[in-house]
Amino acid sequence: MGTILKEYRYTPAKIKRGYSGKSLYLNLTDLRFEQKEITDFMKEKLTGGKGFDLWYLWHAITPETRWDSPENEIVMSVGPLGGITQYSGTGKTVICSISPLTDIPIDSNVGGYFGPLLKFSGWDAFEIQGKSEKEILIFIDGNNGLIQVEDASEYPEDTHLLAEELTKKYAEDEDDMVNVSVACTGSGAKHSYMAMVNFSFYDPRRKVCRFKQAARGGLGTIMHDKKIKALVVRYRGITPNLNDVADISTINKVGVKYHKEMHDLDHKQNKMRQIGTANTVMIMSQYDLLPTRNFQTGGDPETYKISPQVFINEWLTQGLHDGCWYGCTMSCAKCADHFLITTGPYAGQRVTVDGPEYECAAGLGANLGVFDPQAILEENFYCDTYGIDLISFGTCTAFIMECYQRGQITQEQMGGLDLCFGNSKAVLELLHQISRGEGFGRIAGLGIRKLKKIFTEEFGADPKLLQDIGMETKGLEYSEYAHKESLAQQGGFAMATKGPQHDEAWLIFMDMVNKQLPTFEDKANALYYFPMFRTWFGLVGLCKLPWNDIVPADNHKTDAPAKVPEHVQNYVDIFNAVTGKSIDKEELIIQSERVYQFQRVFSVRMGKGERKDDYAPYRSLGPVSREEYLSRQELYDRQLRELQNLDPEKMDLDEKIAVTRRYREDQYEQLMDAVYRRRGWTSNGIPTPERLKEIGMDIPELLEVIEPKL
Amino acid sequence: MIKVNTEDYPWHPGMTVRVLLDEKRFTFRHIIVRVNGEFVPEEDYEHHPILDGDDVLVLHLMAGG
Amino acid sequence: MKVLTHKQELCTGCLECQLACSRAYFKTDDPNYSAIRIVENNRTYRARKCTQCGECINMCTANAIYRDRNGVVRIDKKKCVGCLGCVGFCTELVMFYADDLEVPFKCIACNICAKACPEGALEVLVSQIKEN
Repeated sequence: MGTILKEYRYTPAKIKRGYSGKSLYLNLTDLRFEQKEITDFMKEKLTGGKGFDLWYLWHAITPETRWDSPENEIVMSVGPLGGITQYSGTGKTVICSISPLTDIPIDSNVGGYFGPLLKFSGWDAFEIQGKSEKEILIFIDGNNGLIQVEDASEYPEDTHLLAEELTKKYAEDEDDMVNVSVACTGSGAKHSYMAMVNFSFYDPRRKVCRFKQAARGGLGTIMHDKKIKALVVRYRGITPNLNDVADISTINKVGVKYHKEMHDLDHKQNKMRQIGTANTVMIMSQYDLLPTRNFQTGGDPETYKISPQVFINEWLTQGLHDGCWYGCTMSCAKCADHFLITTGPYAGQRVTVDGPEYECAAGLGANLGVFDPQAILEENFYCDTYGIDLISFGTCTAFIMECYQRGQITQEQMGGLDLCFGNSKAVLELLHQISRGEGFGRIAGLGIRKLKKIFTEEFGADPKLLQDIGMETKGLEYSEYAHKESLAQQGGFAMATKGPQHDEAWLIFMDMVNKQLPTFEDKANALYYFPMFRTWFGLVGLCKLPWNDIVPADNHKTDAPAKVPEHVQNYVDIFNAVTGKSIDKEELIIQSERVYQFQRVFSVRMGKGERKDDYAPYRSLGPVSREEYLSRQELYDRQLRELQNLDPEKMDLDEKIAVTRRYREDQYEQLMDAVYRRRGWTSNGIPTPERLKEIGMDIPELLEVIEPKL
Repeated sequence: MIKVNTEDYPWHPGMTVRVLLDEKRFTFRHIIVRVNGEFVPEEDYEHHPILDGDDVLVLHLMAGG
Repeated sequence: MKVLTHKQELCTGCLECQLACSRAYFKTDDPNYSAIRIVENNRTYRARKCTQCGECINMCTANAIYRDRNGVVRIDKKKCVGCLGCVGFCTELVMFYADDLEVPFKCIACNICAKACPEGALEVLVSQIKEN
């Protein structure tokens, strides 16, 4: 459709033991392509995926680089295990860049076909630097070794239209549609810092494009800033061993074992194949952990209206394969087919809505006071097609709603939107305004940190209150888990390197319900092991869900059921079988820690990796308001007695709130001390040279950054 | 008095695993129950008695996000 | 649809059916390459083979499994990516694989084993398709 601005021909590298050995570099400013070698050093120290992304990003930028500096890069990589077909969850790519929300590196993982097809096209990683003059798309033809940069100004903006058009355009025939994947954002990227990147895959049964998201951190905003309308990759010829694995027999055996486990046990456990991650909505509410009305409470009597069974019975197509890469029998990417859109530019159309995932049901549902499944699905659709991260949008809108509820901002200041909790029509209208860049939509997508500033400086809001209820740290919005009573999870969120995303740690039940982490040391050990283990997936191309969203029948008999030891062994076996290496469970952790510490040092380099950046808004730690205290009065009064030897009968409510606050803030300080020690950091949160040496990351680039901070 | 997940909890006659789970509103089904270190399978929840002084663990295997 | 049936009372466990199948499709005597497996239990013999139930059709991660015009469940080799999901999901455990094969294999009611059976214990019959 558009003019070809540049062509680049290459010889697709053959994959050896999971690596093509080459990365692709594109400079958009002068439309220049380069090939780079993946070195043994990189494989040894960084493994792949996020490790490679951060390495390239580190060398592309300086500490002065901002998200919209031309030298900022979008880097993506799928990792050595990415693209195998025999296990569940083997198509995950990680994308990194300097985030518009946080000013430090964001890493965002995304399922789907794009990453594996990119690798099979010959590229272990893809770096994009600079800015294009015109709106362009980049098409990678992996079978023919051809890359085209095309003028893309004529193509539609929003994902569900754009991806469909591009998939049809670049597929040779109907059967070839599954071999095309599109990475794109939407109109929401023009006016928000929280835009995300969709990865498409074609669903041959439904004959529509389906979407997964690299959601967190504003990668879509950067993509739009660089004027990249879309990336398209096409690779035809997926076979069981495109990765040239060392030991196909082990991979097959472990794969069949896992598929059988899924067949026999999923319906008795989490029902991922029926409902996906939203299976936890009712449970979270029953345990007072579902974030409701900006994390004020943990549930609502109306939660039953958005329970998993409602979605299974009334909205989500059952019984078809819904995995986001071949071989995923967890098949959790459920969708609502022929869903009628009722608002906005696509009103009257019937679409396939990819969701709701848990974060959507919680973040666009309970946390906004919305308990209407139809509204949640429409909010989900528009976030997806407009290219907006629904976690950041949900948590940010919840903040706006509470500011309104507490009289900190007025309806007039919001351009007439009545954004009270529960008003899903206003939420949808806000999304449309963000897409159009009109009214309150001009600022609502900038994120909580910027809104706190605007509301206090321009609307006269109370900065202390806003600081307490604005659920962000480092500039990134919290993901959707009420965790006020879990000190371990508070640390898991606020001490996470990129910002409060739960990929690092999800300890709420272990901590609050099972009471398995009673001491600071227990919490610190958990906040070492789980972040290290869980971030390993992003180095190798794996999805975390198959690790513990189903467990073997005898898992309860093991000595560490929360770690799901048999599945960890599966991963060790598969890693060795693909790469030919021989790691064990301990080495797996060290592999991960190398990149974990690297990322922390990278944040330090960019000005935000120290103790001062690891604090949480008080809403994360305890009851901010009287209503919150009263909603859990029995628990809080008991804690005053048991933990502080005080008599709540003799204290008035405001005093109890203040005393509880001081105690909890002090507890958090002590947790930081324990966690920093365990992670080998100074008391200021800086990784020590000793720890870096222990794991083999005492490389000059990193030592240079930390030395002045010791 | 019994212990449930290391915390004191009042006991009463007639307590079984099922009664305790209902009282504590432990509705999550993917749990591991141990009474005094001994694993109790789900089919025994209705009848397995909990005696005064018992140490009960109800481990919720919640995967989370 | 066509489906292979087995009469236990006639079966002597001679395993000619297994040989016929593996030789026809994979040129080997190795029973691991047969789509019919005879299982002995106290000198009676049961045959494990695909019942054409079709449960694998909807779960196939590559949309590669379909019913042919005889109602027999088949794998489209061009679409299959060897994920082995069908092998793990088959409730009867009659979808088979081998490491040196690109796709799994199963009984397709071709009648070769029935012709090879000296006791007439195997027969391909036509029956009703269950809705998937």
